[in-house]
Amino acid sequence: MSLEIKNLKKKFGERTVLDGISFIIPPGDILFILGTSGTGKSVLLKNIVGLLKPDGGEIWLDGEEISRLSEEDYFLIRKKCGMVFQHPALFDSLTILENVAFGLRRHYPNLTEEEIRTRVKKFLSLVNISDVEEKLPQQISYGMQKRVSLARTVAIEPKVLLFDEPTTGLDPVTTNAINQLIKNLSRTLKTTSIVVSHDMHCALDIADKIVVLDKGKVVEFGTPAELKKSKVKLVQDFLAEVH
Amino acid sequence: MSEHILKTPLVLKPFDFLGKNILAVSRALKSFGEYILDVVHALLTPPFRFKETVLQLNLIGVNSAPIILFSVSFAAAVTILEYAYHMKLVIQTTALVPGFAALLVLRELGAVITALLLTSRVGAGITAEVGTMQITEQIEALKLLSVEPVRYLVIPRFVATILSSMALVVFANAMCLLFSMLVSISYLGYSAESFISAMNHFASFKDFLLSIVKAAVFGGVIPLTSCFYGFNCKPGAEGVGTATTQSVVTNAVSIIILDFILTYLFSYLY
Repeated sequence: MSLEIKNLKKKFGERTVLDGISFIIPPGDILFILGTSGTGKSVLLKNIVGLLKPDGGEIWLDGEEISRLSEEDYFLIRKKCGMVFQHPALFDSLTILENVAFGLRRHYPNLTEEEIRTRVKKFLSLVNISDVEEKLPQQISYGMQKRVSLARTVAIEPKVLLFDEPTTGLDPVTTNAINQLIKNLSRTLKTTSIVVSHDMHCALDIADKIVVLDKGKVVEFGTPAELKKSKVKLVQDFLAEVH
Repeated sequence: MSEHILKTPLVLKPFDFLGKNILAVSRALKSFGEYILDVVHALLTPPFRFKETVLQLNLIGVNSAPIILFSVSFAAAVTILEYAYHMKLVIQTTALVPGFAALLVLRELGAVITALLLTSRVGAGITAEVGTMQITEQIEALKLLSVEPVRYLVIPRFVATILSSMALVVFANAMCLLFSMLVSISYLGYSAESFISAMNHFASFKDFLLSIVKAAVFGGVIPLTSCFYGFNCKPGAEGVGTATTQSVVTNAVSIIILDFILTYLFSYLY
């Protein structure tokens, strides 16, 4: 499923956060969005899934302009377009099983309890988690919560996956595991993925394309190989951290 | 990128302050209006969360009953003692105490004290719960899973608080009257029969019914306000604390103002 952003603009009060962002992601690609804090990366993702409404520009998902849809119409888009938040955002009153089953019950009302349980186990094993189905989110580690959050999002089998800083606050081992998981999930489920990150090393490793944002504008867009040759100061600063 | 910062001249500062506040209030009212429309829409259209509503009835109604009944009983005892003291002092008799006490209990005390206690016990809890969900992105996660937060969180609490409030006021009124009678028997020398007889001269079944109407209105206001503050909670522990405080204050003030409006309207029915 392709995604195209055309001249997207978003302001909060007097502050311009997105100032005419444009790029295209072909179906099945992994796109990394890099940039310093406060450059509008998370705002961009929230505009794509309709949690925020853009002030200008267009968002095309698989040939359909979606930025002007009503909240109800966006429910159909969100089945195709899943998002993993910066925080795990698990429902703390529900067990891990119920958390992952939550979207399944909503989007697949004809599934039996047995089928839901089987699917939950399948997606939990996809993110390398087992034997925690009956636990509450606060009874497992933060890294596991992030992976459960990922399982909950992919369980409804979206065609586009958005990740908002999926490795923030994690140790290097878990960070690497999550990054490999994103790569494997995208390749296995053939989803189009957008990953907001600060991690240039990971971006060079698994991204098909990279967008670099600065002050709400795209300052660089290309493949990892193209980015390595970039003359943009911010890109060079990010690359310097890798070497 | 250069930025031009326009400084407001000193003479215009009061207007600047006033304008900003008017804008902030109008934005908040617009947001609250849209929220109420969402609540009405979710209330009138399926699906309904019966299981969650029953769960909330238990949390809000059953779990609040002991503290509310305990508190209103003492409030009623204090009221009747005060009545008795001042009536003895001014008109040298306590004959009107049961009637006046019954009227005060049924028309004001039962419904208002129950609502204020529900505000502090239930309203604060709802704001803290929804506020925490808001700042940990659980509300946005609900939307992403195609669930309307208002339908999922507000409606079960709204229905459960109205029903709980109505039921609690029935029991609170009964407890208040019982305690009033016990104080009258032990302190003022009434018998149970004479207390009931004196009470019946003033209070009627209509007073009891209208107290339940008040309870329903107060019971509706508490979850609506509490959830609204929760949805608009600012990040961090301080944000949740501030939202909870504002929610309790707004609920308490709203209940007192609504009590005045309802009492005025009901005065045409007594």
